[in-house]
Amino acid sequence: MRILFLLLLLSAPLFSTHVHAAELQQATFSNGAKLIVEEDHSAPVAMVQVWLKVGGRDEVPGKTGLAHVFEHMMFKGSKALKPGEYSKRISAMGGNDNAFTSHDFTAFFETVPAEQVDTALNMEAERFAHLDLDAKEFGREIKVIMEERRMRTEDDPNSHMFEELSAAALRLHPYRNPVIGWMQDLKKLNIDDVRAFYTKHYVARNATVVIVGDVDFNHVKKVVKRTFGHMKDVKVPPRFNPTEPEPLGAKRVDVHLPAKSPVLAITLPVPVWLPGKNDSETAALAVATYILGGGRSAILQRQLVDEQRKAFSASAGYDPFGMGLDLWYAYGMLGAKQSPQNFEKALWAILKDMGNKPVSVKQLQIAKKNIIANEIFAQDSLYLRAKEIGHMETVGIGAMHKDEWLDAIRAVTTKDIQEVVSKYLRPERATTGVLKPEVHS
Amino acid sequence: MKNLNIRALSFVCLLFGFSINSYAVPSIQTAQLDNGLTILLVEAHNVPMVSLQLTTPAGSRFDTINKAGTASMLATILGDHTAKHNDKAWAEWLDSEAIRLGASASRDTLSLSLTVVRDSLPVGLDAFSEALLQPGWYKKRFLSLREDGIAAAIKSQETPGTQAAQATAKLLYGSHGYGHTTSGTAKSLPHIQLNDLKTLYTNQVRPVGSVLAVSGDITMQEILRLLKPRLKTWQGKPSVAALDIKQPSVVRRKSSHVTIPTSQALVQFSRLGIARSNHDFFPLFVMNHLLGGGGFGSKLMEEVREKRGLVYGVYSYFIPLAAPGPFIITLQTRAEQAEKAAQVVRDVMKTLADGKIDKKQLDATKSNLVGSFAQRMDSNRERVGLLSMIGFYQMPLDYLQNWTAHVQSVTLSDVRRMAKAYLQTDDWNILQVGPAKEKKH
Repeated sequence: MRILFLLLLLSAPLFSTHVHAAELQQATFSNGAKLIVEEDHSAPVAMVQVWLKVGGRDEVPGKTGLAHVFEHMMFKGSKALKPGEYSKRISAMGGNDNAFTSHDFTAFFETVPAEQVDTALNMEAERFAHLDLDAKEFGREIKVIMEERRMRTEDDPNSHMFEELSAAALRLHPYRNPVIGWMQDLKKLNIDDVRAFYTKHYVARNATVVIVGDVDFNHVKKVVKRTFGHMKDVKVPPRFNPTEPEPLGAKRVDVHLPAKSPVLAITLPVPVWLPGKNDSETAALAVATYILGGGRSAILQRQLVDEQRKAFSASAGYDPFGMGLDLWYAYGMLGAKQSPQNFEKALWAILKDMGNKPVSVKQLQIAKKNIIANEIFAQDSLYLRAKEIGHMETVGIGAMHKDEWLDAIRAVTTKDIQEVVSKYLRPERATTGVLKPEVHS
Repeated sequence: MKNLNIRALSFVCLLFGFSINSYAVPSIQTAQLDNGLTILLVEAHNVPMVSLQLTTPAGSRFDTINKAGTASMLATILGDHTAKHNDKAWAEWLDSEAIRLGASASRDTLSLSLTVVRDSLPVGLDAFSEALLQPGWYKKRFLSLREDGIAAAIKSQETPGTQAAQATAKLLYGSHGYGHTTSGTAKSLPHIQLNDLKTLYTNQVRPVGSVLAVSGDITMQEILRLLKPRLKTWQGKPSVAALDIKQPSVVRRKSSHVTIPTSQALVQFSRLGIARSNHDFFPLFVMNHLLGGGGFGSKLMEEVREKRGLVYGVYSYFIPLAAPGPFIITLQTRAEQAEKAAQVVRDVMKTLADGKIDKKQLDATKSNLVGSFAQRMDSNRERVGLLSMIGFYQMPLDYLQNWTAHVQSVTLSDVRRMAKAYLQTDDWNILQVGPAKEKKH
């Protein structure tokens, strides 16, 4: 049904007789645990994901990186399984497991042969409820996490700069801290911190099980009821989501690192989607961002790179599915003879222009068509389908609302775009970061 | 701008082998056009889309030695504009039809790919054949793209992985066609002229020996009806056949160091692996999966990360090409402990080379490979990649049907024989990328 709906949005007049993707089916158990299923019987495979309403935003100052520690410790032993055994068993059944963490959620997942779904669910529930959290295992794993941080951040000038930029842009909102944690905090975390975090957050009410693939809803509902649905009912407080004060003026941060060439990025706090409340504004931001940074005709690449030669690569990004706000961004990667000042000036000229006059109807139609086509292409991957469901559910939008987002996209007008751009994408609201290569002898 | 951490690296081994579960493996349909082009198709009607990829023998192995990046630049130009559409008009046309058209090069191949919603397939194929058969060769645009490519190549020197790939290619292959990275370098790119691209195109982008792999909501009859009129002017065979290539000389026990200002050192072991046609593919594939190709189930991950906390990731892979491709073991760790981590890798190699592999390890490895087959071909994108490999390297068409049997038939003595042949530490070269080594003595 869902794909058919997407096709109709794409204004394709033909009906397909081959559409198999099912409606979402869901159940909520008495302890607050949830199950959402999208059946797809095209291959004997299922993607099982366990989503948790806990992430970087739930950490307290000085303890950043704790949520992500679980991405590692969940594989380090539980009452029934020795350290490392979880992955070994999944592997032996022909599955692949992994996990990811953001500010807003933590998710654990495995792709398994369809006949192994029950076993995987039982194993997920067991480690969720009976994690071992051994001090010695933690001692080793925190070193692995520090290596991960070195690899991803310390030794990567671009991501290091973006980390600084986020920290400079926000005062209260937890998106200011890196999900992996500051190195200074990682060095001080101890097993008691980890255990306390586990007791507080790893409770049934925070869990949503998402399954996409070759399963029967009524059957897996019984399995999840018997496992996640049977855990103790622990009340959870509302999630930490402070209101970020409106910026009072432009900010800048220069980041000096041993890089080969400069990068300039701007970031601005913008609203995220609250279904039924700000559909038109956030959908307009998404379409505006696509026109600036999406596809082959993306304005930033076409104008700043191809025509004005002020960068060798440029783009923009917006995630409407965050909590509280999103840090909208645009950036340019600069070559040896290109100056950050010139790029910055030209970037703002484009944004100002977009706020002053409407984009063309053609640009609007192209952006809408491609946003919807991307949704169809994403159906090709069980992983992406499950991820979209889990993400929407866990940040509080609700998986059932996901098709309304495309309705909102379809309703965007050129006037809406002009309004949101002039309202939010203004230089006095921006934080600018410049990666400045250090000269090394 | 929120960051997301993924626990494990995506393992390169996924590209090189596939196993079969006990279900009906989708059958490959095949046809040949009058011009000699081979077409391979797997029908998949669950999502209303079609993905296809043309693979031609025009990879970076044909780059002349001081012009590394030629094949890659040719791919860029073919995807960028045509004789009928300049880059801007081309971008607008493709975006207005939501046509995803891509072009890329690898060591052996140059590929042109297309993904469209099913109803856009005819117009998508119009664009695809125009890109393939009517290149634009606009000089000014070529110079801009080359300049951007040079800037990107300079920027990529910040990444230890790029540095390692370049150094290892040179160390292992010298002046052989595999002796440089496909993308080229800031030094080689300025030497490339438009005529070099035209020469490669004229000599090698020909239908004989090329393969068009298709997966999606389409039948062979339909795709042939659409392709025939569009590709009828494409004729001829390449100057050098797809699998006609010089054998590289064996290089062993070399060591080298690249100094960059990072906190970690990247340690890369390398030696020659095997050609795609080698009869030992399956035994070596299973042995490598056990060694370091199988993620958390593998021996290297267990010893270097799980037991000692020295790295975030360590993995091994071999790339079967027209000629023997590289066999690589790689890790990143804090520079001070690089030698310690390297020693653990050598110890693991020695243990396996000495035959210390038990049946249990082998069985676990095989059951992972066999069980995970279905999920490795559960999207159009993956199926197209697989079909391209089968077609280009002239694997039998029942390759998929027999895959499990091949994996299952690998015995403990086969794996021991492979470990003995390929894991002698003296046969490997070693490269370190990172801060300057401290001088001892």
